Formats: sequence, C-alpha cells, structure tokens
Amino acid sequence: MNNPSPDTLRKRLEGLDQMPTIPVILYPLLRHLEQPLDRLDLQQIVDLISQDESLAAQCLHMANSPLFGLWQPVDSIRSAVALLGMQRVREIAVSCSVLQLLPNGAGKVNPKVFWEHSLACALVCRQFAHRIAFADPGKAYLGGLLHDLGIVAHLWIVPKEFQSACELARTRGIPLHEAEMTTLGVTHCDTGKAVAERWHLTADMVAVLSCHHHPSTATVRRDLVALVSLSDLLCRMSGMGYGYVERRQVNFTEEPAFAILLEECPSLKTFDWARFTFELESFMDEVHRLVTVLYSEPN
Amino acid sequence: MSHARARSAESSLSLGGPPSIQLIQIRDLVYRVAGMFQPDSKLRILESRCWKRMQALGVATLQDYYRWLSACPANQTELVALLNEITVGETFFFRNQPQLDALHNIVLPRIVVAKSKTSTRHLRIWSAGSSTGEEPYTLSMMLLEELTGQLKGWTFEILATDLNQISVAHAEQGLYGEYSTRNLPEHFRQKYFVSCGESLQIDAELKSHVKFSRVNLLDDSKMVFIKDLDVIFCCNVLIYFHGAAKGRVVQHFYNNLLSHGYLFLGHSESPYAVNEDFRLVHLPSATAYVKLEKRPLASRVQV
Repeated sequence: MNNPSPDTLRKRLEGLDQMPTIPVILYPLLRHLEQPLDRLDLQQIVDLISQDESLAAQCLHMANSPLFGLWQPVDSIRSAVALLGMQRVREIAVSCSVLQLLPNGAGKVNPKVFWEHSLACALVCRQFAHRIAFADPGKAYLGGLLHDLGIVAHLWIVPKEFQSACELARTRGIPLHEAEMTTLGVTHCDTGKAVAERWHLTADMVAVLSCHHHPSTATVRRDLVALVSLSDLLCRMSGMGYGYVERRQVNFTEEPAFAILLEECPSLKTFDWARFTFELESFMDEVHRLVTVLYSEPN
Repeated sequence: MSHARARSAESSLSLGGPPSIQLIQIRDLVYRVAGMFQPDSKLRILESRCWKRMQALGVATLQDYYRWLSACPANQTELVALLNEITVGETFFFRNQPQLDALHNIVLPRIVVAKSKTSTRHLRIWSAGSSTGEEPYTLSMMLLEELTGQLKGWTFEILATDLNQISVAHAEQGLYGEYSTRNLPEHFRQKYFVSCGESLQIDAELKSHVKFSRVNLLDDSKMVFIKDLDVIFCCNVLIYFHGAAKGRVVQHFYNNLLSHGYLFLGHSESPYAVNEDFRLVHLPSATAYVKLEKRPLASRVQV
C-alpha cells in the first residue's frame, strides 16, 4: 500500500488543497459579528440569509429548537430576528453555514458527528461564559463553533488518513489530536491555523483554532482560548465528543486552561462544575435531536 | 426580547414551553438543600412529582408549594417526601451504566495499578444505602466477570448497608421481580439467576461476595469499623442528610476510603457545600469524587 509520506500530507494540508473556499455567507456574517449590534444593518443580514434557501431553511429549524429559547413557531428569518434578536440569529446563521461546509459522509467517518460536537461546544461555551461573567459570550459561542475547523479540512483533504486517526483514537480511547499526530504528523490545530489564516479570520479566532488544546501557547485572547478549551473537554467527557469514549479521568481545576481563565474570571474559583455537568444532559439530547433533523433535510 | 427572558429560556429545554419560575425555584432549592439536580429535560417529571405532593397536602399552586418547601427546607418532612417521589423506582439492576463503565474502564485499572505497589490483591467496595440489594449484586456480577480479566488473581468483597431492616432482609433473600430486573442483560440473567416462579433468585456464588447489614450512616461507632475501602457507592442517600449531619457522613467516607479510593454518588447528585475534602473528577459520561491528598490522616469527625 502506498501511503503518502508525512511530508506529503503536511504539504497538502498546509496548501489546503481540495478544501472549499469560505462559504459566501460566512465572511460577511463574521465581519458583521465584529460590529456592535447597534451599527448592524439588520435588513442586510436578513437578505444574506434569505437568499440561500437551503441555509434559510436550516436556520429556521435551529431557530425553532428549544436550544435557542423560542417558545412559539417561527416561519421566516425576519420573524426569527424579531423574536430571538439579532445576536441569536447571527449565531444560528454562522452555525448553519459551517454545517454547509462539511463534505457528504461517504466514508466511515460521519461528518455529522463533528458538527454536532461543534454546535454543542458553542452552546456550552456561551452558557459557561454567562455563568462565570465572561466578557463576551457571543465571541465564546463563535469560538466553540469554529474551534474544530481543522477537522473539516481533514475531512476534505485527507479523508482516508483522518479516518485512520479516528479509528486509532477510538481503539485506544485517546484524544483525537493525539491520534492525528501519530497518523498525520499534524493535528487539527495546525490545520485549523492554516484555514483561519487563509480565510482571514480575526486574530482571536486564529488563536482558538490553533491553540485550543494548548491554551498557554496562545499569544492573544488566552482567556477565550482557555474557555473554549475547557468547554471542548467538558463536551468530550459528557458524551458530546467525536462519537467515541476517551478513556481518561479529568480534574477541571487542574487543567492548564483553568488557571488561565481564572485570571480573567475570578468567579470560576467557586464554579459548581457538578451542577453545570448535570445541566448539559439537556443540551446533549436537544443538540442530537436538532442535528438529526437538519441532516434529514436535503442540503 | 429581553435578556432576562432569553436567559430563562436558555435553561429550559425540552418543555414545549417555558417552565414556571416557581418550578425553577423548587429545582434550585432541592439542589441547594439536598444536592440533587433535575436537569431541564427532567423538569416535566419534577413538576408531576410536585403536583402529586401538592394534591396530598391540599396545596393549589406551585408558588404555594415553593413557599411551603422553603419555609424551613433543611428541617422539614415535606422535602423528604418530595425527594422520595423524585427517586421512586430508581432501584434496579444495572441502573447507571455510564457509572459502571467508568468503574470498569477507568477506576478498576487505576486501583489495580495503585495496589500493585503493595502485596494486596483484594478489593473492598461499599454500597452505602444498598436498599433492596440491586446495586451491590450488580457490582458483584461485574467484578466476578473481571476475575478472569483485569482482576485475575484478585479477591473482592462488597459491603452492603442500609438503614431499613426490611430492605436488608429483602436483599439477603435475593428474590427479584420484573421491575428490578428489567435492565438486566441476558448474559447475566442466565449466569447468575435461577427462575423461581415469576421471580428470579440470586445465585449462591454471587451472594457469597456480598455482606449485608443494617447500618445508620450517622452511627459513628459502626462507621469507624468500615475501613480500607477502594470504592464507595452512595446513591440517592446523602440527599436525605443536611448540614452538619451530611458533613459527618461525608467525613466518614473520607476516612474510610483508601488514598486511591473513589466515591460515586447518584446520577445528578453532588455533595453540594460539603465537598471540601473531596475533589470532583470527570470520567466518561460520569462523575466521581477522589480524596484530596493534603489532609492529615487523623480523623476529624466531631462526635
């Protein structure tokens, strides 16, 4: 069998060959996210979402999920904005545009699992941010949603090798990035950095994508990276990971990310990890239900 | 939409509508006083349990019931009655599979490594609040299977205690009906049970590893003799203790566990506000508590 050498793989990944370009809608949405809410052109956002029928349909499914807190059915993007507010609709639209980035699951690795994890992580990041009075819960949501974009690149560029990494991770019960390092010679953090830079994401998102497994290496927004890192780990330990069980024991207060985040959020010191973990049960069921619905819809 | 409404909605999943503030207040009170948390997906169940109690009391609204509960929550029988409703029907074989998986995949291998440094090849597990015996027998089945695997060459014993003498007698008899055995995998049913009319009778070998006795967890004279434990399971029991009494029980657990030991509580249960001696650890889809290492060995129980 002629397996590509690690150098070949690395070059393919660094060059992002076969990776789709940034979705048309994502860039303007991300640019809008950087603006204060009062300076937003709501109509422009509504138009952006509405012009893509498939995206708009997915957004409405999400808007009607209890995860976003709407207790009455909504049938248009405009109504969603009116009832949920612009912040939530932006989050929903970015989430759906990331969903559209995924390749069809032809191989053994189901891309759905990764989007499910990303969505769960985004929701946990936002909830966690609220609980510890983190300054920017919206940014936390975005970080949680995009942190694994490197995996999306792996699914497109090196699907067979990435499948081997997933199998190794599952067999040994080890974190995926460790299995990627063994199989690919790079991790989704390395590839995520290349994606983030190619797509001209903001410096804080570059840090999240490239450093979420080693937040102390981030040079900007270490607090945001640490928050995403802890939320990501909590998801993986709570059955919202990559579809397999990591055989490990975690003490969150001993994680390097904990000390980093504690510097910015002193309330983390008395944070009730047990209760927060119990709360996630509800997230898990709802996220799974939503993802199943969205995946049953034709793209 | 106001931020306040957005926040309340965020924490109210699966209800088909926002839950009442009173229900959330009752959920929080139960957690604050008893350490048992009802996630949003179970709020409907909590609500029905509350209604059942309200009917018994003749209380018309959740608001009134919350007032009733919060009048003196740590020292009243109504909270106990509600907790009984919440936990009713939770005793059956293989009740908490993620917890059992964590024991099998993470905890046992760690204990084996920790004890391999000594000559001891013996495990001691305590099921504190063993009710009618389903939990200790489940553990016994699991460990018996492991005697040909990761526990090859080991022996084990399971201490099972409960306050209720009738429950202890039921457990010692080892006869179980359909409800208790509904989650029992076929392999275990075939191997460790024999049919006895419409019930299932526990096999003698399985029984020989479990020692039942009636123990009050506040009885210090008995608690000090339950020593050298590798794992303690105490599910849905600490919720009935409050304040200093709860602290005393948790302190006994601390003293009785070996340094590498683990404490497992019930699903969605936390030793809320008395967990300074223990540290929460996350295992796959389960949580447990391990001992803080810095404490002196001397007992701190105030009798």
